[in-house]
Amino acid sequence: MDYYLQQLVIGLSLGMVYALVAIGFTLIFGVLNVVNFAHGEVYTIGAYAGLFVVAAWAPPLAALLLAVLAVGALTGVGLERLAFRPFRRFTDEASLKSRAMREATLMSSLALSIIAREAIELIYGSQFQTVPLKLLLNEPIRLGPVTIVNGDVIIFVTALAMLLALQFVLTRTRVGLSIRAVSNNALGARYVGVDVDRTIAWTFVVGSAMGAVAGILVGLYYGAIFPSMGFNPGVKAFVAMVMGGLSSIPGAVICALIIGVAEALSTIFVASVWQELVAYAFLIVTLIFFPRGIFGGARERV
Amino acid sequence: MLEIAGLRVVMGAQEILRGVDLTVGAGEIVAVVGANGVGKTTLMRAISGVYRPSGGQIRFEGADIAGLASHRIVARGLSQAPEGRQIFSSMSVRENLVLGGGPHGLAELDRVLALFPLLGERMSQNAGSLSGGEQQMLCIARALMRRPRLLLLDEPSLGLAPKLIRIIFDLVASIRAAGLSILLVEQNARGALKIADRAAVMEGGRIALAGRAADLAADRRVAETYLGGHVEA
Repeated sequence: MDYYLQQLVIGLSLGMVYALVAIGFTLIFGVLNVVNFAHGEVYTIGAYAGLFVVAAWAPPLAALLLAVLAVGALTGVGLERLAFRPFRRFTDEASLKSRAMREATLMSSLALSIIAREAIELIYGSQFQTVPLKLLLNEPIRLGPVTIVNGDVIIFVTALAMLLALQFVLTRTRVGLSIRAVSNNALGARYVGVDVDRTIAWTFVVGSAMGAVAGILVGLYYGAIFPSMGFNPGVKAFVAMVMGGLSSIPGAVICALIIGVAEALSTIFVASVWQELVAYAFLIVTLIFFPRGIFGGARERV
Repeated sequence: MLEIAGLRVVMGAQEILRGVDLTVGAGEIVAVVGANGVGKTTLMRAISGVYRPSGGQIRFEGADIAGLASHRIVARGLSQAPEGRQIFSSMSVRENLVLGGGPHGLAELDRVLALFPLLGERMSQNAGSLSGGEQQMLCIARALMRRPRLLLLDEPSLGLAPKLIRIIFDLVASIRAAGLSILLVEQNARGALKIADRAAVMEGGRIALAGRAADLAADRRVAETYLGGHVEA
């Protein structure tokens, strides 16, 4: 029983990481109807940026997270400029969310992700970078019979705070309302005077900032940072987005938590090498039985 | 206030607008009527910057706005309640109005709700759950939130019951009374000519006929084509 509880806690913090990454996918899919294949690399860049900041200034955790948040935001701006904006030469809605746009940016974001990964390898090498021991988030916490580490709590609380902040941004600020407006009706957004290009850039800023923070949190949790670390959470977050109905944030967050918990609990029944299969199984089941996503039925956007 | 001269819009191989000339003076209601597919909505989209003109001029309060990005045109005081309403259906009525207000936010809310009291009761409801008439009201209200000096209305009566159409046309008249200029595109020529000062008939991407609305309403040719054959006194 204690083991179950312990795995549940681990699963929730893991799920929160997936949720942070999934939000970037979901927001960007909402405004552009495209999948940003470089999103996993934003996560990796967040982790390396954190490592760099730690090596240079060794700031307290909160400052470190803020620095990574800023790096993620800038990465988002650059990503949008390089891989997405050049393909947006026409401004009417038909081409903003067209198939040609989707295919072009699929390739350009994939290309940029490869370049980013190789660049990191050139600079840092392909081996694991280790995190200084005192920064590792693995201090045990005993809660009655259950033992977890402080990383589980820190990840969960940080991610929850970011989700609440996101909720605030999307419902209370002009930028957030504009993001939802473009997502809901891009043509309508132009008629009310929303600057669609700037709003798309902001969407990348918000999504990438959250993805980058997820990267450093996991880096500090497992103590290992490596060039391809973004791939796995990227896949899980992608599955969460699809399960959640592609452009529903609550849907993506709930599905990310489901995947995280299911993965953690799966080790009770099967060897942990099979853990990776859980997300793929969810994806297949979703695509066969809920082609519009588990929460996609109502087609609620962002 | 708005002067359009020789406006051309080409989409692909098709020339949709073939040199449109049209003016709207301060405090005026100008109606553009015509059958489906003659380019009325293309004209409206070109004015609002959604379509890029291929030639000609659009001057608003003296400055050329042809080819400007749509958000810059809105910022200059020219708002549109577009065809198909284009409201944000998954957002609340309040959020639709906030977005309409842009930098002004909800500053204009009281004045707009005085015109559309019904919306006041629906503020936290999803815009998609409103009835067709309410959605049209929201669409116009959203455009007014920005305090425009010129309001473009594209087919405000489309798909509405006759009683609602009358309400919408009455509203348009009272919006003008508040000092706005209005450019109105309508298939419902009878209703449009009744509230307009001047009007133009569009055919094949051009203005075929223009003049005082009352004169057009009395014109035999207009009456036969657009008013169902009989001239109203």
